[in-house]
Amino acid sequence: MIGIIIRREYLTRVRRRAFLLGTLLGPVIVAAVMGVAIWAGVESEKPIKVMVVDRGGLVTHWDSVRQAWLPNCPDCFPERAGLDYRFSDQPMGEEDFLASDFGAMLEFDDGVLQHGKVLMYYDEVPSMTAQNRLQRDLSEAIERFRVKEESGLDYATYKRLKTDVALVGQDVVTRAGEANGRAAIGFAFSLLLFLQITMYGMQVMRGVVEEKSNRIVEVIISSVKPWEWMAGKVIGIGLVGLTQILGFILLGTAAVALGGNWLESSGALAPGGMMGLEDPAVGLDWQTWVASQSELSFLLDVNWGWMIVATVFFYVVGFGLYAALFAAVGASVEQESDAQYLLMPVMAPLTASYVLASMALQNPEGTLAVVGSMVPFTAPVMMLMRLPVGVPFWQLAVSGLGTLVMAWILLVLAGRIYRTGLLMYGKRPTLREMFRWLFYKG
Amino acid sequence: METGNRGKAIEIRNVVKEYAGHRALKGVSLEVGEGNVFGLLGPNGAGKTTLIRMLTGITAPDSGHIRFFGEPWNRSHIRSVGYLPEERGLYKSMRVGEQALYLARLRGLSREEAQRRLRMWFERLEVDGWWNREVADLSKGMAQKIQFIASVVHEPRLLILDEPLSGFDPINAQRIREAVLDIRKEWGATVLLSTHDMGSVEELCDEVALLNHGEVVLAGPVAQLREEARGGRIELRYRGNAIGFADALGASAQLISSRAAEDPSLQVAVVELAPGVALPEWIHRISGVVELYSVAPHATAMRDIFIRAVQTPQP
Repeated sequence: MIGIIIRREYLTRVRRRAFLLGTLLGPVIVAAVMGVAIWAGVESEKPIKVMVVDRGGLVTHWDSVRQAWLPNCPDCFPERAGLDYRFSDQPMGEEDFLASDFGAMLEFDDGVLQHGKVLMYYDEVPSMTAQNRLQRDLSEAIERFRVKEESGLDYATYKRLKTDVALVGQDVVTRAGEANGRAAIGFAFSLLLFLQITMYGMQVMRGVVEEKSNRIVEVIISSVKPWEWMAGKVIGIGLVGLTQILGFILLGTAAVALGGNWLESSGALAPGGMMGLEDPAVGLDWQTWVASQSELSFLLDVNWGWMIVATVFFYVVGFGLYAALFAAVGASVEQESDAQYLLMPVMAPLTASYVLASMALQNPEGTLAVVGSMVPFTAPVMMLMRLPVGVPFWQLAVSGLGTLVMAWILLVLAGRIYRTGLLMYGKRPTLREMFRWLFYKG
Repeated sequence: METGNRGKAIEIRNVVKEYAGHRALKGVSLEVGEGNVFGLLGPNGAGKTTLIRMLTGITAPDSGHIRFFGEPWNRSHIRSVGYLPEERGLYKSMRVGEQALYLARLRGLSREEAQRRLRMWFERLEVDGWWNREVADLSKGMAQKIQFIASVVHEPRLLILDEPLSGFDPINAQRIREAVLDIRKEWGATVLLSTHDMGSVEELCDEVALLNHGEVVLAGPVAQLREEARGGRIELRYRGNAIGFADALGASAQLISSRAAEDPSLQVAVVELAPGVALPEWIHRISGVVELYSVAPHATAMRDIFIRAVQTPQP
């Protein structure tokens, strides 16, 4: 009997065009926005011609043969697409600059050795990428000058001696590495879970309200027990949300694979390509490229398979828990507008779990995150945020089992409210009355 | 109409139900003969819906017993019950056939069987062109037919119809009445009919029970109730002077009512003979005064019985 109800609840929703559009277009829109941003960044990269005014002659010299100022270290100012250097010891006047085809003028004198600052004149701000390159090129040139002048070492020796330490995180409990980026990935899953539970939980409520206002209730509860009906509805609608999550995962995986291959074949990963790689490796595959990027390598530390399993599990228990509440609210009112005051106590913990997850993002192993991820009402959303950072097994067990048990209790209690509420028409029940319904006999 | 002597479809004994301090049923007892059409009558709030909800498993008595075809009532019996509630509706966003199929499957039919029977019923009630249409496109009467079909498609032993004819035009109402009588013939269904439409009660019901304030105030076969209500009254149609007729009655009979018949040349009078007056002699005497056209027992309308029973103060 429940199977028939699940089937109806599931099929009538999955067949709707809005569901298909939402599932397909959701990630496509996200991908499109990101794609447009990258594309716009690449396209807006206008070629720029830069005048380097070295008033103190630190990094340039006068070449009498070519009758021009040239860099002492030509390698420091490599030829690149979109960036063209000229050198001088005298700045141009403002009017001359504006009339020229130079996009920027960098001016410095000996003072740069003390304060490290270089003036940049421009008529339009150069892109961040261009600025980064200018900064890098000039820093290296000045560094070479200083190494030579102040230490007498040759630059290659200096480079070998120079030391930068990096902090590499290592969680002694979970043996996992760098946490912050992975917490952000977890948060993305939290957000997905929050949205799915809210959206499909509301659908459970709307479904029940619709049945009450349709007056189909009495026909159906003369065929099936109210709890069977509620269970069928919760499971059916829950499966719709789960289908969508799996759809997102599938599309996401396909998009990453396609995108990665596209990056490889477009040559963007090659040296001097769009991604600004300085490494000499040519023809990297994209996973290796990701691993080589210190900002992105955490992506490969995330156990994606485990994340997906956990997302499905916490969606199931989290949805069960909240759907029970949404169903009870739906059964207690006749119109959706009446549901507002009863929705407050349902939406509050759900929204809180999202807000707390975003707060705990800064410190995914702090008390807030740990406690929040084990309290059944906030556990599903918050645990997903913590999961990629590494969670001790006992906490995971407490969180999962706790939510499961709470979901079961609430489904049983909601079933009682559902049974009584369904046939109540006319008056808006108070919370106290709904509490009393818990103890009504059949 | 036959009054079933085969057995009892439903036996209700001292059933009590209370809701938050309000006694909806105060020890109701009644019996419904198997294969009968049983009218459950009573003003709004009399407890009819509560009683029906017990028979459909939606609610249970606080005390008392219900037997269903000889067995103590339990939830498994709801498979043998068809129910058309007064408050009825359909999912607006579903297709008609899909919807009927869903409701039929909830009644325990397999998909194939449900489909086969539904096709037959759709044809029978002339809604066969509507299988693939949206429910939202249905007129009220059409929707009612679908709901009626959904309540009978699993061939229930007990069919409960709560105001089944509201919303139907006279032609379709007649079609449903005929369908109800056919169902009884086809698979011997017992029908529990709750309605305020006394015309349907007179046409369809073998037995009735009248509920008022949660108690049965009147119950029995329709024919017997009408006979009892009739007392010694007779209805006469005659041609002649109404005043002369009234004078001629004298002490032998009391004139209850008098009016012109559909044929304006005739008068209709209802009289109650005085005790000890023999009907043949009385007719003979009156026919000397007016031209008697017909003499018949005066059948009391169920409507009058209903009103009288409800307005009589209960001890």
